[in-house]
Formats: sequence, structure tokens, C-alpha cells
Amino acid sequence: MTNQGWAGTTYGNEWMHRWLIRLLRHIDVRILYVFTAVFIIPVCLLLNPSRGIAYRYFRRHIGCGRLKAAWKTYVGHCLFGTTVIDKFAMYAGKHFHMEVEGYESFSSLAAAKEGFVMLSSHIGNYEIAGYTLTSKEKRLNALVYAGEKASVMQNRSKMFEGRNTRMIAIRPDMSHLFEIDLALQGGEIVSMPADRIVGSQKCIELDFLAGKAKFPLGPFAVATGRSLDVLAVSVMKVSSRGYKIYVTPLPYDKEASRQQQIRQLAEAYVAELERRVMQYPTQWYNYFEFWTAKK
Amino acid sequence: MEQLINDLKQQIKEALNLEELSLEDFDADAPLFGEDGIGLDSIDVLEIIVLLEKRYGIRLESPKEGKAIFRSVRTIAEYVQANSKKN
Repeated sequence: MTNQGWAGTTYGNEWMHRWLIRLLRHIDVRILYVFTAVFIIPVCLLLNPSRGIAYRYFRRHIGCGRLKAAWKTYVGHCLFGTTVIDKFAMYAGKHFHMEVEGYESFSSLAAAKEGFVMLSSHIGNYEIAGYTLTSKEKRLNALVYAGEKASVMQNRSKMFEGRNTRMIAIRPDMSHLFEIDLALQGGEIVSMPADRIVGSQKCIELDFLAGKAKFPLGPFAVATGRSLDVLAVSVMKVSSRGYKIYVTPLPYDKEASRQQQIRQLAEAYVAELERRVMQYPTQWYNYFEFWTAKK
Repeated sequence: MEQLINDLKQQIKEALNLEELSLEDFDADAPLFGEDGIGLDSIDVLEIIVLLEKRYGIRLESPKEGKAIFRSVRTIAEYVQANSKKN
């Protein structure tokens, strides 16, 4: 299962993005939340196939009844809208309250000599706070999709200024792989998503939320190739102005065979993802056919 | 050089589990990537990067050179011969 139908870029054109940032400099995000929930989301639900995908996710994988699944489909889309608004609000200079659970796991690895890997996923709003887990001692290298709009890339760059952070774009010439490897060799941090198959089609199929789903091999191969420590990082919306960052170490046996290490790490990542999705089921934003089969 | 090419073929075959590919059929000049060649992809590149570092002590310093170095087994061998810190 590949992420068919996903363009690898934020919805809307650059003019819309710039207009939204200007607007958010002057108005409260909650006004846009309400406007989006009342006028935008119902239209999106009528026109977009994500409606059926989200509904099936709530029915088959979360276990909701029909009415509840329909309601949660609407709520999930509204929450997705708020995370997009929040991202642009941040570009506009607005701040959100952040609470971190498990920060000591990050700080102890940041203080060590070796590099490490942070695995994210498309739940909650990683972009708004995931990159705030930075360290003066270790540069954070954030793997991003090269196809993003210039407006998003420029604003990300601005956000990263002074934070000892840089972006590595996924490119067809595979230069990103060498950049990742150099960064890890140099004892730096690499952050990458591990729930979507982009580029290499090599994947690992695992049990996930009452079904089977394929996860990309790349992130797990990167970490285990150098026997590095790995953290799962999720950033979940908990209020209109607040997010909670969950930092969880992902264990695997570094003495096991290469294939076993990859499997163990992938299983640890999926277990953590499942735990977080069950905690915040409406913040699952992989709006494509994610599952290959029911269990 | 031919010995190094054969060693690399063997190591790449083992590292990537290319059981169906015999060493005789593993053309040193065949493109490693794409449908016209061996058909490796980016995950395989990662494995070869780690292999080169562990076996030959080679660290690729310039990401831009990567594509040219990994064009074929022969181009990897040439790079190893010029840069190897082990053996």
C-alpha cells in the first residue's frame, strides 16, 4: 500500500498561504476554527474522498458505530483544519502552549556523543512543536518532502533560524540519504516520518489497529544501520492554544541480526503509534487507504 | 581492481539478500538503479553506505557525489580504491 492520492504538499496555493498568514497576524485562531468548521469542512466532506476513508477508519479500526463514526469523521476533519490553521498561525508569529512528556529521554540522548533518530507520524501536529525539541549541542536535521510549496518551505526556514536546525529535502537523486548518513556519523539528530511510504517501495507489513498496514523500511533501516537510539515523537492538540508533546524511547536488540533489529524497531514504533492513536483517535490524518487488510 | 570488484559483488549480494542473482550474472558495469540494471533502490543505498564504512572505512563526504559513485559496482570499486582507509 503506497500513499496514493497524497501529493506530498500542504493544500492550497502559495497566494492562499500568504493571505492566510497575513490574516492570522490580526485575528484570533478560534475565529478561523469556527469559520472552517461551519463553512469549509462540510464542503470538503461532500467533495473529498477522505470522507469515506475516515469513516471506514473509525468503523473498522477504532470500533465506532455508524453515527459515532460519521460524527467523528466530521470532528476529525475539523481538527485537521485547526492543525493547518495553527501551522500558519505559527508562521504568522503566534505561540502555543506546549507541554512535554518524556523530555528527559530527549535531553539524555542530546547530551550523549552519538547521534540519534526521532520518528514522527502524521497524527496531531508534529510540525508545530516537533522541531522545538532542539539542542545547542546537536544539530537537528528534519527530513521534509521536497514537493512542499515555497511559502511553507520559506516559513519553515525562518522558524528554524537560531534553533540549530536544518531541513533535508527528500530528492529523487537520493542525495538526502547521504546527508542523513553524514549527519548521523557526525553525532547529530535526524527527524523523519515513519508512517508513509515515499520513494523506496520497500516496506514492512505489521498488525496495526485491527488490521494489517505497510510501513516504510527506510527510517528503521537508517537507525539500525548504525545501531542508534530512537525516539518516537508525537505532538497532539489538547486545547485551542495547547499541544502536548510525547517523547517515547523505542527499544530494539542491537545485538540481533539486521533484519530482526529492523522488525523489532518497526514493531516498537507501531505499538507506540497505536497507543497514541487510541488516545487521540480523531487526530489521525493519514487520509488514504492505509490498511492492506483486516486482521 | 578485478579482485575488489568481485569482493564488492559478493558483499553487496550478501548485504542485500540478492539470492536470485549469481556472481556471474552480476555485471560490474550494469546500472545498480532503475529498471535497466540491477534494480536497487534508496534503502539498498543505505545498506551499501554502511557496508563501505564498516568494511573499507569509507565515509562519503559529499552527498552530491553519491549518485555518480553508486552508478555501478565498478564505480564503487574505483571510489573504494581511491579512498579506502582499511586493507
